[in-house]
Amino acid sequence: MAQDPGELRELGKKLDEAQKRQVERSTRPPPSQMGIAGRFATELVAAVVMGGGMGWGIDWLFGHFGFHTRPVFLVVFFFLGAGAGILNVKRAADEINAQIAAGQNKE
Amino acid sequence: MNPMEQFTVKPAFGLDHPLFLLGGHPIYFTNQAFLMILVVVLSALFLTFAVKPGRLVPTRGQSMAEVSYEFVANMIHSATGEDGLKYFPFVFTLFIFVLASNFFGMIPGSFTVTSQIAVTLALACLVVGLVIVVGFMKHGLGFLKLFVPHAPWYLLILLIPIEVISFLTRPISLSVRLFANMLAGHTMLAVFGGFVVSLGAAGGLISGLAIAPMLLIVAIMLLELLVAFLQAYVFAILTCIYLNEALHLHDHH
Repeated sequence: MAQDPGELRELGKKLDEAQKRQVERSTRPPPSQMGIAGRFATELVAAVVMGGGMGWGIDWLFGHFGFHTRPVFLVVFFFLGAGAGILNVKRAADEINAQIAAGQNKE
Repeated sequence: MNPMEQFTVKPAFGLDHPLFLLGGHPIYFTNQAFLMILVVVLSALFLTFAVKPGRLVPTRGQSMAEVSYEFVANMIHSATGEDGLKYFPFVFTLFIFVLASNFFGMIPGSFTVTSQIAVTLALACLVVGLVIVVGFMKHGLGFLKLFVPHAPWYLLILLIPIEVISFLTRPISLSVRLFANMLAGHTMLAVFGGFVVSLGAAGGLISGLAIAPMLLIVAIMLLELLVAFLQAYVFAILTCIYLNEALHLHDHH
């Protein structure tokens, strides 16, 4: 039996940690199918829009200073944005997988 | 009956006279401004006066305030660790503001502040701005390493712009998620509400059918309460995750 104060303190620490883990898990709601779909869609579209917008802005800026680059940067950044969108979706998927795995560990 | 009418920003209380001119543009006191002030004032008053130290058995209000405090504190601790707790006031304020706005929007006849992209985008830009400031304050120029993945140099030419775009996407995806969820939910409620009215006005036996969309509204209302909480939670937890990245600079690979 744990009698001396050191061991008891150790036990108390372990209990605190276990309790904390329990709280963390129970406060994390599992994502619904609809939520996942919406998440992926916004991540992908937002990145493409952002990339295209940046390219458009750079073209506009160069045009302002007399370099007629339009539509070179728009095209290049559109594709970079598409790449960033796929990266975002991949990261979102990793995150959701981790959440689901954490949910399954609980059961 | 237009289901989108509920999202119109218009001067509050029929105050058609602009408050002042800003660079030639009239500035009105709108229903949105009113609701935002109401949300801030009421939640601040509630959280201040619900808690009294030295009460042995907490009242309902005190329990609510304490539970929300612990909830956010746990969230920050699990997402960012010990040193993220410095940013507790920011995350807590953000969470309570979004949560209270969502719940105030659920009151029939009121106005949902978070269904305006202007509001959510401003909040998201605030979050990402803070993340950038914290990152540079903590790591100096080393913060820029966040945008450099482990890859051969010839791929970095391609990957760094992609990482930068991916980072800049955050305010958009963060704000669009909250905005779209609130917009979709409230539009759905208004559409089904329109069904009830038009079926009820049809007369005769058909009027009795109005009970079906009515029951559906009750169900959607419950779902929307869940969404209202969930979206506030998602907004806050993503803030924590972004802060964590700025604080600890661990890359994704």
